Order: sequence, then C-alpha cells, then structure tokens
Amino acid sequence: MSTTTEKPPVTKSTQKYIGRAMKRVEDPRLLKGVGTYVDDVQLAGVVHAEFVRSPHANASIKSINTDAAKKLPGVIGVFTGADINEKAGTIPCASPLPGGKSPVHTVLAGSRVYFVGHPVAVVVAKTRAIARDALELVEVDYEPIPAVIDPEKALEKGSALTHPELGTNVAFTWGLAGGDVDAAFKEADRVFKLRILHQRVTPMAIEPRGCAASWHSGESSLTLWTSTQIPHLIRTLLPGMIGIPENKLRVVTPEVGGGFGSKLNLYSEEAVVSHLAMRLNRPTKWIEGRRENAAVTIHGRDQIGDHEVAIKNDGTVLAIRSNIIADIGSYLQLLTPAIPTLTGLMIGGCYKLKAVKVDITGVHTNKMSADAYRGAGRPEATYIIERVMDYVADELGLDPIEVRLKNMPQSGEFPFTTITGLQYDSGNYQAALEKAKELAQWPRLLKERENARAEGRLFGIGLSTYVEICALGPSKIMAAGGWEWGCVRIEISGKVTVITGATPHGQGQETSFAQIAADRLGIPIEDIVVLRGDTATAHFGRDTYGSRATALGGTAIAMSIDKIIEKTKTLAAALLEAAPADIEFAEGKFFVRGSEAKSIGWGQLASEAYVAKNLPPGFEPGLEASSFFEPPNCTFPFGTHICAVEVDRDTGQVKILKYTAVDDCGKQVNPLLIEGQVQGGIAQSLGAALMERTVYDENGQLLTGEFMDYAIPRALDIPEYALGSTETPSPSNLLGVKGVGEAGTIGATPCIGNAVIDALSPLGIRHVDLPFTPERVWRAIQEKGGTL
Amino acid sequence: MKIQGIHEYKAPPEKVFAALTDPVVLQKCIEGCETMEKTGEDSYDAKLRIGVAGIKGNYTGKVRISEKKPPESFTLQAEGKGAPGWVKGTAKIQITPKGEGSELQCEADGQAGGLIAAVGSRLIEAAGKKMLQDFLRKIEEQHLEVGGEK
Repeated sequence: MSTTTEKPPVTKSTQKYIGRAMKRVEDPRLLKGVGTYVDDVQLAGVVHAEFVRSPHANASIKSINTDAAKKLPGVIGVFTGADINEKAGTIPCASPLPGGKSPVHTVLAGSRVYFVGHPVAVVVAKTRAIARDALELVEVDYEPIPAVIDPEKALEKGSALTHPELGTNVAFTWGLAGGDVDAAFKEADRVFKLRILHQRVTPMAIEPRGCAASWHSGESSLTLWTSTQIPHLIRTLLPGMIGIPENKLRVVTPEVGGGFGSKLNLYSEEAVVSHLAMRLNRPTKWIEGRRENAAVTIHGRDQIGDHEVAIKNDGTVLAIRSNIIADIGSYLQLLTPAIPTLTGLMIGGCYKLKAVKVDITGVHTNKMSADAYRGAGRPEATYIIERVMDYVADELGLDPIEVRLKNMPQSGEFPFTTITGLQYDSGNYQAALEKAKELAQWPRLLKERENARAEGRLFGIGLSTYVEICALGPSKIMAAGGWEWGCVRIEISGKVTVITGATPHGQGQETSFAQIAADRLGIPIEDIVVLRGDTATAHFGRDTYGSRATALGGTAIAMSIDKIIEKTKTLAAALLEAAPADIEFAEGKFFVRGSEAKSIGWGQLASEAYVAKNLPPGFEPGLEASSFFEPPNCTFPFGTHICAVEVDRDTGQVKILKYTAVDDCGKQVNPLLIEGQVQGGIAQSLGAALMERTVYDENGQLLTGEFMDYAIPRALDIPEYALGSTETPSPSNLLGVKGVGEAGTIGATPCIGNAVIDALSPLGIRHVDLPFTPERVWRAIQEKGGTL
Repeated sequence: MKIQGIHEYKAPPEKVFAALTDPVVLQKCIEGCETMEKTGEDSYDAKLRIGVAGIKGNYTGKVRISEKKPPESFTLQAEGKGAPGWVKGTAKIQITPKGEGSELQCEADGQAGGLIAAVGSRLIEAAGKKMLQDFLRKIEEQHLEVGGEK
C-alpha cells in the first residue's frame, strides 16, 4: 500500500498547530504495549465471569441445572435469569419510534432465548479458565422453536413470530415524505426500479468488548471499567438498572481497541458484571472472546430496499420512492431504530431532488441486534443514491459525472435545505469532484479503460459523490442531549489540563484537542495534557459517535478557553495597571493595546490567580472554565471518491487498481489524523464492498463466527490510495470543523460498487448484490455467458 | 446438511442389518462414542467425545432406531448437545443384496448449532462424511469379518 497526500496547508503564524499533520501523542504508549486496556486493569481479588449462551436461535428454556457447575472447585457462583433479571434492570433503547413495539430486554434470558449467543446464565470463578470449564457443566434443557430468519417472510401473514407477545414481527415503521412525489413521478420521462440489498456485517473491533467492576462497600459506590464509546451515557443509564444513585457510579474507559459503533451500547454483560461485583462484593471481570464478539456484539447494516426513481431524459433525477426493510434482529439495542431513519434522511445524497418518499419497516428476527456501525445508515443511503446516479447515466447513455453535476446544488446555494428537511450547512461539491478527477487523472483512467476493453479485459471506473451527516447533533434531535462538554484548567504552574467529555477512543483527539488548545492559548503543545474517558474527571459528556467529537467536543474546549481569556483580562489589567477593556490577548500574551512590549504570560497569571494575594476585587481565584456546546445544526461533510478496478473474468476476483478520495470535512485540525480516518474508513468500506457478510443459516445459526469464516480486508487487500481534500468550513461551530470518522465508510462502498458494475457492464450486467465476492461476480459473469 | 454414503459389504444383508442395529456394535464403531445405554425399545442414551474443526467437546445424546424392516431398511435418529453446541440428524439406511454380499445406502440429513456451526460450518459437512465413512468401514472391519471370502 502506498499513499500520496498533498502537502499540509501552510499555517499562519498565529496558528502554529491547527492544520499541522502532527503525530499522535497516543501512539508511543500503544506501540510500546504499555497502554491500559480493560483486560490490563489489575484488581486485587478479582473474579471472572463467563456466560452460558444459547446454541439455538429460538427456543424455550425448560430447565437449567447449575448444580454440577457450582460444585466445580474454584467456582464462586452460577446465576440464571431467575437469579439476576429483577436486580439488573432491562437493556435500554434510547431511540424508540412512536408506535414501535419492543420486547422486554432482560440482561439474561428468561424462559426463552431469541438468538444464538443469548446469555442464559453467568458463571463466576476464581480464574477465567475455571469459569470456562464450568460453562460446560451448566445443563440447559431447550425446546427448540422454528426460527424467524428471513425479514421479508417475517412480514408475511401467518409468519412465526420472533416475540409472540408483540403479536407481530414489525418492531417499528417510520416514514418520511418531502415534496409532491406523485407529481414528480407524473412529470418523469422515465421511471425505473432498483432493488438494493445491504448485507449484514460484523464490526469486528480488534479488541472485543470487556468490563470490570469494583464495589467499594465502604462508600457504597461502584467503579466500572468498560471498553465502550459511551462512558457518560452508561453513567446516565446504568444506575437505575442496578439500583445505585448516579453519583455513586464512576465509569472509566481506558484504551479502546476499536469501537466503530459496536461499543455505542449498554450491553447485558456490563449490567451483569456491575451487579455481580455488588452482589458478591468482589471485583468482577468479563472479557469477551472473539467468537462471542462475532455473535453477541451488535451487527450493522442489513437493509433490503426497493426503490423507484423518476427521471427526465436530460438526466435530472426528480424523485425517489423507497420501501426499506431493516432486519434489526431480536432486540432494540441503544440506537437500533434510529439507524435506518438516517438512511431515509440522507437518501437524496448531495442532489436537488424534487420529492422523496421513504417508508421503513424494522423487522424482528432471531438474530443478534443490528445497531450503529461506522457510517450508521448513511453508507446505505449513499450506496442507494450513488447507484441510482450511475443507473441513470447508464439508462440514458450519459456520462455519470454529467448526471451528478446536473443534479448538485451550486456552492452559492448553501445553506441548502433538502427535500427531506435537512439544512446542509456548507458545501462545494463541484470543487471536490473536480479535485478528485484531477488526482485520479480522470482522462488517463478513461483511456486505460478503453485500452483494457479493447483487449477484452473487464476494467471499470466508479465514483461516488457523497454527503453525510455528522456532529450529531442538536439536542432537539437526540435522545438524551446532543451537546458536548469540555473543561480547560490553567494549572498553578502554567501547564494546561484539557478535559473532554467526548471520550475519544482511538480517533486521536488527545493530539488534536491539544492542537486546538495550544493555538487558542498561544502556548507550546507540550504544556498540554488532554484527559478523557473517566466520568470522575470528565464530569459531563455525550461521548463519541456520529463523527461528533471534534466538531462538538473541540468547540466546547475552544469556548472554555475563550472564557478563561476573558476572565484573565481582568487580572492582567490589574497587574498592568490598565482598564480591562484595554487589554488584548495574542499568542499567549496579555498586553495593553498599543504597547505589546510590556506583556504578561500564562505562567505569571496562573501563579497570581491561584496564590491569590493580589487579585483585583471580585476576581475569583483560579483559571478554569468549562462549557457545554449545543450545536445549532449538524454538519455535512462531503467528497468525491474515484476508483478503478479490474475483474478477473475466470475467477470473478475484483482487484482495486487505484483509489482516489477527496474529502471535505470542513476546517482541518490535523491532516494526518484525517488521512488515517479516511484510510481506515475506506478499508472497512472495501470489506463491505468485496468480502464481508454476516451469515445466519435457515435455522438462525451464525455461520460467520470467527475470522476463518468472516473475511475482513488485510494489508494486501488495500489498494494504492491517492488522498486529497478541500476545505469548506462549517458555519455550525466556531472551529469550522465537520467530522471525518465515517467519511471513508460512506464514500467508498458505492464507489467500488459502481466500478465493479462498470467493469461488468460490457457483459450486459447492470446489477450484482453486495458484497462482490469472487463467487458472486463469477456467477454473474456465467449467467451472461461469460463472454463479450 | 445432507450426507450420502454407499458401502459394499461382503456379508449378506441380514448380517449387516443385525450389526447396524446392535448397540454394542454401534458404540464400538461410532468414533468417540464412550457409552451407549439402552433406555427403551430401540432407544439409547449415548455419550460422545468428538472434535470437528478444532472444536473438541463432550456431547450427550439420544439415539433411536425406527422404521425397522429387517433386513432391508431402518431409520436412525440421533441428537446430541454439549458445550460446543448441538447436532442432530436422521439417517435412512437401505441395504440391498449385491452378489453374495450387500450394498448399503445411507442418506443422512443433519443440522448443527451453536459454536460448532459458527466456526465449523465450512468443515462440518466434510467431517460428517468422513465420520460416516469411518463408521461404515469399522462395521465391516470389526464385525463383519473382513475378507468374508475366506
């Protein structure tokens, strides 16, 4: 793999750090292996929990016999749903939709199991090995029931029911309509239909989940260490479940080896382990195994969409009418219902449609729950609309770029209100497209394709011009507050401690937030420490998901610094014997306007502020401020991805020859981090495009339970990247940043998909379902006779 | 998962039928079968230790022989569960005379669940076929006088 990147933008003298490609301060500890993950947390007297899990997708539990397991030396206890469920609450869904139906989600199974891996009992033992041995001794007598697996059949009359007590497999329905759909279809020159499937995928973070809890009996308080994206949301939700006050719970998130949405949840195991630590009065730990991770950590995507598109012969796309079935699995996890609604909201992409109508049905099946996975609803939307654009071009014999340009808003039209009611904050889609064409050497690509086709090779070019929704988001659209919190403290020594509630967990904000703070305070970055991931330190937070941390958390820090600067002006004025209104601040120095030579820096001011001998009247000691940033709107990053692929006619193998991505995530704080996010995002998206698929058999058995059966991209699968960017600041926050954590996963799958279909188009192939595995592509080629 | 097997025996159908429906013979010839206890007419409880796709585990299960039509056919139903998950299957066995010996045709339909399905699904069919072949061969080697022409 090689990468070519443009030079970082030249920085102004007042901006020493923002915009600079700085290496992550997090990396040395991670690379040296001295970072602390949950499993590294050493607790004296810790006991280990392991879960007995259902081997059936759907079954009633006739009996559970724990006697033999309890007798195994080293076993401390074995607990079933009957022992625990009333004391550990129910797993919450924070985004129920009106009229939706959701089953009661107890932490362990009650009288029935609903998916393979459903926890039925928990064993606690002195060692993890003993706990695992004891699992085998727990005898569960199941009465299997036919499983509900196919979401479309699950909607048919008379279908077996996942949760009979709900009387339906429909978990929720959600509709969105904008514009006059019927009129748009009447106005159309042509109407075509597309059926697009988004396979279920498994996030497969390199570090599975895990948690450890310690009950402090003297204080009646609990500390929970957990590999999560959302310690603050857990601190909001868990106390009520386990019966302790919120201010008696501390949640610590040490290093996290990948989340991607899969750790944006409050899981059964976290509640059970917390409860057990209290119940047994012993620190209790559980570390998820890889196979458990594949089965019982949320899955992503899994949508079936039937789309009808109304177009004019000049390439104008008038309207889309979509029926989407989301296979959400057995339970509503934290954000399960919200994910497909994002697909609906973003289905128009970066285009000016006249009308949109989307109807979504969430369906219960006997599978693990689906929830947020990197991109969360937007990759699906982007795939749909970008396939539509190529389909339109193909249908009308037009250039796919021309079709896109015809339907895009111009840069002068922002803020642009979409037909689904979103207000796209800022954008210049044409500029990103132009730059991507340049980086990809578009004319040369076309020539290469022409030459390849002349030789009978299956060479394709694909592009996607995506827009996504980030910095989620204004509290009015979020379940429990969408703000973010930050705190800045100038210590007595003049060193600076920055505390963020955004809980970065691998995105590198210990570095980028220090860059923001260093520039705004005018101090060396080395003087700053960024703290995260502990509710005892970061008192508030709404955590990291939806590419929100820098736009919201970074802004909260900038706001806090501005407050400190304002306050410090009074102190500086007293020391400089001037009026506060005459004090200016620049590059770390306070001075009287017009006499810059005589200035005071943070070191002296901090000392004065805390020693507090010469404070002006009314000046509160200390230099600390915190802020909640409530965003007025989401942000809408965008970009253009272009790739060239070649398909092996004999094997169906797709090879990506070159991958170009131009992403506009607003103002860039650290281009190196952005590049890393884009690269990783594309890699994950490439997995979804070419190889990843979570498979349940007709009985609801998970067949892709480890890396032997679930393919994810490896280094050799990653193509040459050419990465670039444009910078269109967001007006939604004072930093102008938008977010980039999910851009790669959103832009890349449709880009690769369009390239593969383009490569196969000389054979008359217009559609292949994701993922483009050699088998599927080969079969598609064979169906067309395999020859040109 | 469907598995088919054909095996030719030197012994006549009567002998083959008798061997295949004898719990003592079955216990000896089913790989990993540690015990087989009669619980009723043609019903048995069995304990097995088998490994598929690197997943070794103990299974407890039930075996039932039904639709007996000596000496030409019977149905064998088996189900087992253990820490690695569960397996169950039904095998229809036909024995027809062939020359002086006989030909056995087996059509089995099996399902697996839990860990064994999650991580062993690619190998389970191959493992099932091999177990069936080994079983049919052992029956011959141990109980039907190999080289019956002697």
